[in-house]
Amino acid sequence: MKQKALVICPGRGTYNKEELGYFQCYHSDKKDLMKTIDAYRESQGQVAISALDNSDKFSTDEHTRGDNASALIYGCAYADFQSIDRNKYDIRAVTGNSMGWYIALACANAVSFNGGLEIINTMGTLMQEALIGGQLIYSYVDSNWKIIDGALEYILALISEIDGLHASINLGGMFVFGGTEEALQKLETQLEPREQFPFRLKNHAAFHTPLQNPISEKALKHFDLNLFQNSNVPLIDGRGHAWVPHTISSQEIFNYTFGHQVVKPYDFTHSVQCSVKEYAPDKIIILGPGKTLGGAVAQSLIEAKWQGLDSKESFINAQKSDPFVLSMGIDEQRKVVV
Amino acid sequence: MSLDRAKIVHQNFLDRVSNENLPNVSGYDISSAGLSNEQAVQIFESQVLSRQLDFISRKLQGQGEAFYTIGSSGHEGNAAIAAALNVDDMAFLHYRDAAFFIERSKKVSGSTPAWDMLLSFTASADDPIAQGRHKVLGSKDLFVPPQTSTIASHLPKAVGLAYSIGLNKKLELDDGLPENSIAVCSFGDASVNHSTAVGAINTACWSAYQGAEMPLLFVCEDNDIGISTFTPDGWVKAQYQKKVGLKYFYCDGLNIFDTYKVALEAQQYVREKRAPAFLHFKCVRLYGHAGADAQNVYMSKQQIEEGEAKDPLLQSAALLIQNGILNKEQILDIYNDCEQRLERVAQEVIKRAKLETSEQIMESIVPPVNPTPQMVEVVSEQTRTKHFDSDIAAHKKPSHMAKMINWALHDLMLEHKEVVLAGEDIGPKGGVYNVTANLHQKFGANRVINTLLDEQSILGLAIGMAHNQIIPIPEIQFLAYLHNAEDQLRGEAATLSFFSNGQFTNPMVIRIAGLAYQRGFGGHFHNDNSLNVLRDIPGVIVTCPSNGSDAVAMMREAVRLAREEQRIVVFLEPIALYMTRDLHEEKDGAWSFNYNDAKSISFGEIGQHGEGEELAIITYGNGYYLSRQAAKVLEEKHSIKIRVIDVRWLCPLPNEEILSAVKDCKHVLIVDECRKTGSVSEELMALLKNHNNVERLTAEDSFIPLGRAYASTLPSKESIAEAALNLVGGKS
Repeated sequence: MKQKALVICPGRGTYNKEELGYFQCYHSDKKDLMKTIDAYRESQGQVAISALDNSDKFSTDEHTRGDNASALIYGCAYADFQSIDRNKYDIRAVTGNSMGWYIALACANAVSFNGGLEIINTMGTLMQEALIGGQLIYSYVDSNWKIIDGALEYILALISEIDGLHASINLGGMFVFGGTEEALQKLETQLEPREQFPFRLKNHAAFHTPLQNPISEKALKHFDLNLFQNSNVPLIDGRGHAWVPHTISSQEIFNYTFGHQVVKPYDFTHSVQCSVKEYAPDKIIILGPGKTLGGAVAQSLIEAKWQGLDSKESFINAQKSDPFVLSMGIDEQRKVVV
Repeated sequence: MSLDRAKIVHQNFLDRVSNENLPNVSGYDISSAGLSNEQAVQIFESQVLSRQLDFISRKLQGQGEAFYTIGSSGHEGNAAIAAALNVDDMAFLHYRDAAFFIERSKKVSGSTPAWDMLLSFTASADDPIAQGRHKVLGSKDLFVPPQTSTIASHLPKAVGLAYSIGLNKKLELDDGLPENSIAVCSFGDASVNHSTAVGAINTACWSAYQGAEMPLLFVCEDNDIGISTFTPDGWVKAQYQKKVGLKYFYCDGLNIFDTYKVALEAQQYVREKRAPAFLHFKCVRLYGHAGADAQNVYMSKQQIEEGEAKDPLLQSAALLIQNGILNKEQILDIYNDCEQRLERVAQEVIKRAKLETSEQIMESIVPPVNPTPQMVEVVSEQTRTKHFDSDIAAHKKPSHMAKMINWALHDLMLEHKEVVLAGEDIGPKGGVYNVTANLHQKFGANRVINTLLDEQSILGLAIGMAHNQIIPIPEIQFLAYLHNAEDQLRGEAATLSFFSNGQFTNPMVIRIAGLAYQRGFGGHFHNDNSLNVLRDIPGVIVTCPSNGSDAVAMMREAVRLAREEQRIVVFLEPIALYMTRDLHEEKDGAWSFNYNDAKSISFGEIGQHGEGEELAIITYGNGYYLSRQAAKVLEEKHSIKIRVIDVRWLCPLPNEEILSAVKDCKHVLIVDECRKTGSVSEELMALLKNHNNVERLTAEDSFIPLGRAYASTLPSKESIAEAALNLVGGKS
C-alpha cells in the first residue's frame, strides 16, 4: 500500500554553496524542464539557471539574488517533486515555506508549471529590483529545540516597540523578522546571541511585511486571474488554510497569492502543523534544494507534540530507523523517496 | 445495531452514487441558489467530513477510544446555513451541527476541524475547546460558544446575546462584532417544545414586538423525531408560521441549494430588520438518536429505510452531478478520501493526552482573571453630587439596607458603563422593594431593563449579555422564583468556563431577594428559605449580607469579582432586613448605617461582633441579626462572654477564617435560618467536627406559612438564646 505523503516546498535561501550543481546532479533526465526555464529566462533577458547551476563557483551575489535564486530553486524543487516515486508515495497535501508557496501552487497543479515559473520569476525579480528592507533570522528554542520561556513574547514585544520592524516568518523554532535597514540594525543590538543566531539573510527583502505593499500592488495588476486552475491535491498556505480541489475560487487564491502572502506574516510553523493534523501523512517529503528546512519542520512538529516528539533528541531518535521526515536534499533520505 | 445502520447508509451512498441511482433534484440549479460551483463543492465537503466523523466515531467507540456517538447524520444540510452566515454571527449550536461547524471553520484560516472534532470525540486533553471535558461544538475563533444544547437551554442566552449586539452600540462598548452582526441558535424539533425554548422564542418576539433590536435567527432542525417520540405532522410549522413578531422561513434541509437560498434570505431579514426569524429546516435523522439507541424498537424497518433513502449526501451528490459540477467518480473520491484521511488522523488523535487528575478536570471551573476589564469611569464629585441630588446628604445619615444597596448600585453604574441591570419591575417602579429606585430614571431603559415575567429569560438575557462585554446584574424577584430557571445558572452559566477551558466566560452578579421573616406576609413563595440549590454549583459564589453597611461593601466586591475575575456571584438579599432600622428596641437605630462609612469587604472575609470566648455563634443573614439580639440578652442577663460571627460568604465557605474565629471558643452554636436538611449548617457542622461543643439551631424542614405563625418554624431571638444556654450549661 502506498504511503501517504505531505510534500513541503522550500523557500528562498535554500540554494547555497553546497547545492551548486544540484539540478545537474539529480535531474539529468529532466533537461527539457531546465530548457523551458532557461528559455523563459532568456525571454526576460535573464541569466539561464542552467548556467547558474553548472557554474564552477558559487557566488553569493549571483546565486542568492532574488531574480536568480527564485527560478533556480523552482527548477530544482519542481524536478524533485517529479522525481518522487509515485508507486511508493501517494501525495495527499502540499505546502511550502514563503516563496515555496509559489512552488506548491505548481506542484499541486493550481497553476501550470509555466504559470508557476512566471509567478516565481516575476515576484523574485520585482523584489530584487525593489529590494525593500531586509530579513533577519533568530531562534526562540534552546539547543534541544525546546521553546525558551518568554522568548517568543520578547520577540513580539520588540516588533511592537521598534518602528519599521515586522514579523515575517514563523519558521519552526526560528523567527524571521522583516524590516527597514534602520529597524534591523536596532534589532541586532537588542538580541542576545544564541548559537549562530541572529543573522541577516543576504539579498532578502522584507518579505511578508507591509513594506512589500508596492510589490503586491504591482503583482495584483500584472498577473492574470486565468493563471489559476483546479488543483489536484489540497494546498496549505502560510496561514494554515487548506485550499481543497474543486473548492478553490480563482479570485480568492489570486488575492491571497499576490496580496496577503506578500504583505502579511507567513506562519510556516502553523502550516506544517495544520497539514499533519488534517492529513496525518505517513511521511513528510521536503523537496530540495537544501537541507535546512528539515530543522524548521522538525521544530514545528515538536511544538505540536506530533507523534510524541518533544525535543531535538527525540526527533533524531525517531529519524534513525524509519524516518518520518524525508529531505530530498539529503542523499540518504532522497534515496528513500525517488 | 447503530454501526450496522451506519454501515448500511455508508454502503447505500457508495452504491447509489456509483450506479447514479440518485434522488430526483430536477428544478434546482446552481445559479438560482446563488452559489458558485466552488462554494457548492465546499459545502458538500463539509457534509462529507461531518458524515465520516460520525462514522468513525462509532468505529472508535467500538475500540473503546471514543465517548460520544450522538451524530449529525441527516442534518448535514446545515453546512449550507453556515455558508449563508458571517463567521462573526455568534452561533449557539445544536449538538447535531457538526457540518455547520466544519463549514464555518473554512472561513477562518488555519482551522483544523477534522483534528479538533476527533480530539473532542475521543475526550482528549488537547481538544481546543473543552480539553476533553465534554463533546461540545465550540470555538472562540469561530464565534461559537460551547454548550451541550440537549434540551434547548441555550436559547435564552442566544436571545441575550442578540439583544446585546444593539445594546453595546448604545453603551459604546467595543465588543468587536460588526454593527450588523446577528446571532443564531439551532435546536431540534423535539426540544422546541421545551418550556425553555418556548420561553426564549416568546421573549424574542415580546422584545421585537415592541421595537427592541433582536437580530436572532432561530434554526429549528426538524428531523421528525425526538429520541423515540415522533413530532406530529406539521406541528413545527403550525406553531411558528404565524407567530407575532417572528418571521417564518422554511427550507428543505436535505437540499443544500434550497437551504442556502432560504438561509440567505432569512439571515438578510434578521440582519436588516434587526428582528427575529425562524428558519424551519426539514431534515432526517440517520442511525438513531445515539450509538446505543436501537431504532428498531420503536420504528419499523420500512420507516428506517425510508429515512435512510432521504440521505442528504445523496441529494447533494445528485445536485452536483445534475449541475455538471462534479462527476460521480469525483464525488466518490471526495467521500472515500475523507474516510481514509480520518482513519489516519484518528490513529494520531487516540495517542493524544487525556485528562487524568481532578486538578486537571477542575482547572477551568473558576474562570481566568480578566486581562482587560473595562476602564473605570472617573466620576467627579460634582457629577456624583448632581446624580444623587438630595440623596447625597442622606449618605451621611443612618439608612436601611434597601436604600444602601440602591445607592451602591447607583455608584457602581456611574463607575462602570458595562454594568446593566435586568429584572421584573426594576424599571420605573424601582423594584418591588425599591432597591432599584431611580436607576431607570437616571441611567435609562438601556441600562435598567424591565423584563417580562420569565426567570429563564432574565438569566438567559444576562448570560448572553455577559458573553459580550456586559457585566449584568439580573434580579430574581424572589428566591422561590429562581427554581424554575435554575438550570440557566447550573447548566449554562456555571459550565461555560468549564466547557471552554476558560475561553468563554459570563461574569455577572445575580441579585436575589429572599429568605423569611416577613412578618406573615407573602407566604412561602415570598419567604423561601432554601438556598441549597445555589450552593452545589461548582464555581458559583453565593453571598448574603446581614446589614446595609456590609451589603454596600459586598455588592462592590461582587461586581469587582465579576469584572476583574469573571466570576458568577449570587447576591442574596434578606428581604426582611431591607427596611430594618433597629436592632434591640424600637427606634434604637442600631441596624441603620451611614452609606459613606461603608468599609470594604473582600471575598471570603467574615464579620465578627464581640470577642467573647465562652460562646461563638456562627450565622448569616437574618440569623446574624437575631443572634445579635440574643447575644445582648445572653451577655447582659446570663453573663456569657460571646462573639457572633457573620459568615457572609455562603459558598464557598471561608473555612479557614471560620476555624480561626472560633478556635479559642469553648462552645459553638450554628444558627441557620434555612432548613435543617441541606442548609449551610450541615457544612458548618462538618467543618467543626473536631470541636468538642458544637450544636446547631436551624429552621424546620417545612415551608413558610402565611400569617402570625410565620416564624414558628424558624430560629428566633428566644430560641437562639435558649439553645445557647443549653449548650453553655444553663448559666442564669
